[in-house]
Amino acid sequence: MLLNRRNSGERWRVRPDGPGKVTGALAYLTDMDVPGALYALVLRSPHPHARIVSIHTEAARSLPGVAAVLTHADVPGLNRFGIARQDQPVFCEDRTRYVGDAVAAVAAETLALAGSALDLIEVEYEPLPIVGDPEQALLPEAPLLHPEGNILHSKSYRSGDAEAIFGQCAHVVEETYVTTRQMHAYMETEGGLFVPGPDGSLTVYAPTQHGFMDRLQLSRILAMPERRIRIVSSPIGGSFGGKDELNVQPYGSLLAMVTGRPVKIHNSRRESVRSGLKRHPMTIRMKTGTDESGRILAHRVRIVADTGPYATLGAEVLNFATEHVVSAYRFGSVDVESISVFTNNGMSGEFRGFGGNQAIFALEGQMDRLAEAVGMDPWEFRRLNMKAADEPGPFGQTIARTDGLAKVWAAAADSALWKERVHLDISENSDIISTSSATFDPKRGGGDLPLWKRTGIGAALVMHGAGLGYGIPDPSGGRLALRKDGKIEASFGFEECGQGLIATLEQMLVERFGFAAEDLRIVIGDSDAVPDSGSSTASRATSMMWKSLSLLQTPFTEKLLTEAANCCGLPVQRLRLGPGGIWDRESGERAIGYPALAERLAEPIVCEASTSYPVPDTDIVGAHYLYSYAAVVVKVEIDDLTGRIRVLRQFHAVAAGPVMNPQGYLGQIEGGSSMALGFALLEESTMAQGQYIANNFDTYLIPTIADLSGPVEVLAIEDLPDGDAYGPRGVGEIGSVGLAAAIASAVRNAAGIFIHRLPIDPALLQEVMPIGQWAVMSDER
Amino acid sequence: MQMSDAVGFSASTPTVWRPRHAEEAYRLKKQFGHDAAYVSGGTLLRTQWENGSPVPGHLIDLSSAAEWKEAGADNGTFAIGAQTTLSACRSDPQLQALYPLIVEASRSIAAPSIRNLATIGGNVSSGVGDSLPALLVYEAQLDWYDDGGERTESLEDWLRRMQDGTAQTDSLLLRVRLPLESANLDPSENLSENPSLTADPAHSFAYYAKIGRRDSFVPSAVTTALTGTIDGSGRLRRVRLAAGGGKTIPRRYPEAEARLEGKAADDRSVHLLHAILMASYTPAPDPFLSDEYRKRTAANVAASHLWRAISEFAHGKEGERCC
Repeated sequence: MLLNRRNSGERWRVRPDGPGKVTGALAYLTDMDVPGALYALVLRSPHPHARIVSIHTEAARSLPGVAAVLTHADVPGLNRFGIARQDQPVFCEDRTRYVGDAVAAVAAETLALAGSALDLIEVEYEPLPIVGDPEQALLPEAPLLHPEGNILHSKSYRSGDAEAIFGQCAHVVEETYVTTRQMHAYMETEGGLFVPGPDGSLTVYAPTQHGFMDRLQLSRILAMPERRIRIVSSPIGGSFGGKDELNVQPYGSLLAMVTGRPVKIHNSRRESVRSGLKRHPMTIRMKTGTDESGRILAHRVRIVADTGPYATLGAEVLNFATEHVVSAYRFGSVDVESISVFTNNGMSGEFRGFGGNQAIFALEGQMDRLAEAVGMDPWEFRRLNMKAADEPGPFGQTIARTDGLAKVWAAAADSALWKERVHLDISENSDIISTSSATFDPKRGGGDLPLWKRTGIGAALVMHGAGLGYGIPDPSGGRLALRKDGKIEASFGFEECGQGLIATLEQMLVERFGFAAEDLRIVIGDSDAVPDSGSSTASRATSMMWKSLSLLQTPFTEKLLTEAANCCGLPVQRLRLGPGGIWDRESGERAIGYPALAERLAEPIVCEASTSYPVPDTDIVGAHYLYSYAAVVVKVEIDDLTGRIRVLRQFHAVAAGPVMNPQGYLGQIEGGSSMALGFALLEESTMAQGQYIANNFDTYLIPTIADLSGPVEVLAIEDLPDGDAYGPRGVGEIGSVGLAAAIASAVRNAAGIFIHRLPIDPALLQEVMPIGQWAVMSDER
Repeated sequence: MQMSDAVGFSASTPTVWRPRHAEEAYRLKKQFGHDAAYVSGGTLLRTQWENGSPVPGHLIDLSSAAEWKEAGADNGTFAIGAQTTLSACRSDPQLQALYPLIVEASRSIAAPSIRNLATIGGNVSSGVGDSLPALLVYEAQLDWYDDGGERTESLEDWLRRMQDGTAQTDSLLLRVRLPLESANLDPSENLSENPSLTADPAHSFAYYAKIGRRDSFVPSAVTTALTGTIDGSGRLRRVRLAAGGGKTIPRRYPEAEARLEGKAADDRSVHLLHAILMASYTPAPDPFLSDEYRKRTAANVAASHLWRAISEFAHGKEGERCC
């Protein structure tokens, strides 16, 4: 079904958090204030790599109005953090490894005083040689950034002997693909309010994608039991993976505990750019060969990722990229070696797509190049080499069977956009037309377009794994209750970061149980009030809510109906759940309202479910079991005058199981594709000598609505095989994965140029004197 | 050995002055010198401060002087008060009719909320504002207030002095004046001093383009403006070309203008314009786009302006013949 308001009918709902967000009435956690709060700032290293000779805080401490100045010496617990591996210093002791590294933090009565105190902290640095490039970091003479070396993680996957088979290939394509550092660019920068309790407890109001992980990490740093730390973490003004890891929480927490006063901290955009995570820049070298007929026989891949100074989820991102450079093609033999390397550049980490974006750009680029080498239509070439539904996953693991790949392939082939491409390609190659006019070019000008504009259509195929993958604990769960006040309370440990999680949960409760929206209270983002559902990441939240609700449906319904039957003196079989209360099937009347039922109960009705994200039966860490599939077709226009690309039209076919919330689904694909458009055409956090060149949104350019003006069609393919037990697959990331590859493909179609680096450099596509090719008039007057 | 630094933060709050007259504003600027800045909308200053420029100790707020916000005919010119916001420029009906490129330039600068604050005076005073190429082709004059009281100077001269570093930095811009003869009037009036050229209907053209790395709310990479006329015999007359962009101080291109004067409006003129800009457009350094790219862009876009003018003229003639 094409997803839009009209086709969705009554399923198109107003999101519960929508009015507050569009009117600005909603308060984010960084908008919170309490009387008597102190203001905190963090002193970060000006050097990408330096030895700390000395730190003197006396002058800052003695400034009136300064409540605390902290350094590494003041951390009571572990002076390190990191979701997967705790190697990032809360405060650097003797060495800084990037320009975001924290050396000290200050809390003062006003922000101005905190700033003055930062100025008074004297840190003596001895700059060290900068490792600004991962390839350089791998050289034997490179300075070691960590005692164990400059390699964070390596991953390989082999099947068959690719190297030997290249000799038998009729066509071999080799290319190096380069992607750069992209910023999450969330509206709300990192920050929060940290409130110590009189009993020695701490409440943290700060955005994160996994409150319980923050609690665990903070308990290590503060040397405090987890139960004395409460994390309130929603609503969030955007995250996209960027706030899953700790950011300012250690500083706010430590300062609050030391001073015994509430502490407010909120990064400026500059500080967010400097200290925050980015998408991993990757260099992906591919060599792929086919036989005469176009069947792929061998695929060799080498990935080098720049992970920056510390681990966070760099290893996991690399695993994901390694899996997705193989994806769903039937390679005769595969040889992938990947490596994630420490540098003194900015921190790389989790970002929507999780390494898939880089991998698919490279992989789909290979498919287009190979198709041309073989002389085949690029989409047919993909079909020839695609795996069938019952074949194993990228690492040879068993995966949940769906026909998603074939279906998105067919939907793209059948799309109006792809048919337009086929038609134009035939026109371009037709002798009859081309001889009729020496200058005729069906892709140039026409309609309202001047002659210096060319159009082209391209497409890409995406396979995207969801969940954390094999080898990483991935538990989840949720709770339903009828509370004393008569509200049906749904509690999950997930976060609302703008993706529409609350709306989707509400819609699932309404549609699955028959509740009215007014009957419900949704509780998320508060570690004292919710069960641990795992992180709101890896396209997993909707799947896990669906699974939890399906586990809860029978017990919760039975309990409600049994209690209602007792109260009303009616047999259970005559009762059903409905809006406002429990209804009598025979009379069609409401038998008892939820508040009335709650009032008569001695105890609230509570049901909990525990589950975990499904993983394959394998021993390969990171291998996935559930996948979503997408095909993206895009039409672009290239301006020869400037070389700039405009995306005119997009078509996305997405196979991710049933649509839980049409508006949310559409929003995820449109939103993801907007980020991908930025990744493809605009966004690049360039670094020179370990320093960011673009420090704010005046020079780091994300797409505006003017760049996103073309229509976006989203076709949701909902079919799953009979008996599928896994329900909706996630769509949080997949919209952000394929567009860049499709744009590159369209550029090839329009201009005959293969793109191997993102964002696409307009200078590559600019013509030297585009106007001269078309006569205006002669000078015979 | 170096000392540590703090980021994105200013500890002191500047004093804000609200002068009611130019004389008072200028006196304050002279008094505090480099530690003072004139402020209108403050939008450009804000981005400079965000990027680490020091916030001066004194801000001289020009917004309380109402007379600097007016636009209208004055002494044979069209005067735009320096405090006129870009939003006001964008929607001014007289500017739309007479100097459409200024309206187009105003539309291309920043975003609506910024244009509600930002002023034409601030855009001009920056020396690199995107209104400048449009103002240059209309041969704008600037009214300044400084030691000698009010004085008028051509925009072109002032930009030249900006380029060579001899422009006074304390002078206060009062208004921008546009000569009425450069307005977008009926071309037959424009050429009335040479009646022989008005035998055939002439075609006036005016084009402006701002090219950035994205479509809107973006610093300019290259900004161009081109005006002129194609006379009844198909010859180019009074071509005015200006180009700037980014940190490049905009300027006119007198060589191109002189060499195109009287030339046939055809491909050769388009190529000539392109070649001259390729040779003479010298962009200031930009960390994101190469000089070569911006040179080509300036030449391509300016040449496309002329191509469009000629194309429209040709189609107009065809239209006349067939009807």
